[in-house]
Amino acid sequence: MLAEVRMDALKIRATFVRDARLMMSYRLVFLLDWVAIVASVASLWFVSRLVPASVAFGGGHVATYFDYAVINVAFLTLQGAALQCFENSVRNDQVYGTFEAVLATPTRVSLVVLGAGAWAFTLAAIHIALYLAMGSLFGLHLDRVNLATLALFLILAVTATVPVGIIGAATIVRFKQAAPTQTIFGRASSLLAGVLFPISLLPLWLQAVSWMLPITHALSGIRGAFRGASPADSWPDLVWLAVATIVLLPISLVVLRGAIARAKRDGTLGQY
Amino acid sequence: MMAWYIEVDQLSKTFPTATGLIPWARKLGRVERRRVLDGVTFGVRKGELFGLLGTNGAGKSTILRIISGLVSPDGGNVRVGGFDASTSPAAMRRIVGLCCTDDRSFYYRLSARHNLEYFGSLAGLDGARLRERIVEVARAVDLNADLDRRFDSFSSGMKQRLGIARALLGDPEVLIFDEPTRAVDPAHAAAIRSFIRDELIGRHGKTVLLATNQLDEAWELCDRIAVLRSGRIAVVAPPSELDVRAGAPLRYTITIDRNEPELFDRARTLPGLVDLQIDGEGPSVRMDVSLRAEPRALTELLRVVSANGVCVSSVRPHDRRPADIFADLISGHADAR
Repeated sequence: MLAEVRMDALKIRATFVRDARLMMSYRLVFLLDWVAIVASVASLWFVSRLVPASVAFGGGHVATYFDYAVINVAFLTLQGAALQCFENSVRNDQVYGTFEAVLATPTRVSLVVLGAGAWAFTLAAIHIALYLAMGSLFGLHLDRVNLATLALFLILAVTATVPVGIIGAATIVRFKQAAPTQTIFGRASSLLAGVLFPISLLPLWLQAVSWMLPITHALSGIRGAFRGASPADSWPDLVWLAVATIVLLPISLVVLRGAIARAKRDGTLGQY
Repeated sequence: MMAWYIEVDQLSKTFPTATGLIPWARKLGRVERRRVLDGVTFGVRKGELFGLLGTNGAGKSTILRIISGLVSPDGGNVRVGGFDASTSPAAMRRIVGLCCTDDRSFYYRLSARHNLEYFGSLAGLDGARLRERIVEVARAVDLNADLDRRFDSFSSGMKQRLGIARALLGDPEVLIFDEPTRAVDPAHAAAIRSFIRDELIGRHGKTVLLATNQLDEAWELCDRIAVLRSGRIAVVAPPSELDVRAGAPLRYTITIDRNEPELFDRARTLPGLVDLQIDGEGPSVRMDVSLRAEPRALTELLRVVSANGVCVSSVRPHDRRPADIFADLISGHADAR
């Protein structure tokens, strides 16, 4: 059992190293990502100069628009990683022609797909760190962070959004084309998850839709952590994310397994 | 009863032919399927080099992909080394190494070494053992000097040899080769054939399943060959017996010391004789004969023509080219055995 866990860890590490090497082989794209982060933080700072501090940005406490928006935009990258990494990994392996070669090894399919998250979330963490570092240069307040709350919400933000990404990967395996998950969740989040403005500004029916998005609760909790809120203070969001994880994660793995079984029956595993 | 190391039993497989939503909707969900394998059964002994021959679309690659766990069969069963493909797929993949020689089965922007590091890790290798193994397998396919070159700078032949190196990484008991010398230059193709025959089979006792369209290669390498025809096994036999199993007439040139028309007339009545041409007079008469592939046909003919004191000075069989034998086998002359 322990040997198997160790073997799985080694395989995830190998996938991490592969993805890091592939990413580093596109150095310009890698650098442009960093430039985009700097530009994004600077833009938010200029916009924040037009928007006065408000309790709407601080969950009942007065907070600046800059703090609100930088934290949201920074941590939204976690959702982007979750939605894209599995889907892109399967798609890239199909296009490179490596998918069948990988699946012919004694490695579980779920490990192959989930392993793609290792580098993607590491990169997302680096991007978040850069957002926060840049933000602090522009005056982002990082002095009241509750690390326990932040850690809890980071974990749950990942686990609650990963299933959507896994279902996207299953769609690629089954139908050979991208699922609309990236579009629906990615675009909808910008509008509905309170990334650039508080959801209280939305009509009530859109607020209801917003409530159903995992990232809404994740960002709400993370903003709370930066204000010093304890896990107990943020329990509704914690419970929402935990329940979403418990319900969605097994479902997504079953969907992925079913898609792969179907592709094996149809002989289309490596096709795209 | 023979203990097979690889057992393929009544394997059948169909693939859907209709694709996309419109054809699917037109057929109201009843997707047409094309039969690729239809009750394929064969066994491979441990340490044997077993060849699969067949025309394009005959089902060779499908069999290999089923054994590698990449395609699920509709029916039938596959067992390798005692592991059942349907109940122990992971255990089976541990002892099976698939040699994908497709150009597109590596990461183009990584070096050969980095590609092998990744696939070696997935095969369960780590640390110093992985690094040593990469050097070993690269040396085996003559790529040790090119390990740090990016894959996209490799020639087609080098890519194919890297595919072989990857299959060897985990030191599997069974190696599956799908056209291993397809794009390889003659010198490296000979080296690969020699490596498969002498090293993998001769020295390491591996079991090799080889699908190829290179008939000479199959004849040279394989202990036994299975010829697939329309998704079924037409024949399984050693290369030396395929000629007989093909059912086509066997040709001989027989030289005798005198022309005896009466004997030739008697020979023409033999049931095994297909054709007889006589050429020459005096002490060297040449008979070109075609005989049915029956066990006693040649013996009977020689008995008849050597009567009355006629001396048979030589009997020379005409070896048929593998391409001719293969053409007969896939055209349906052979019995399915």
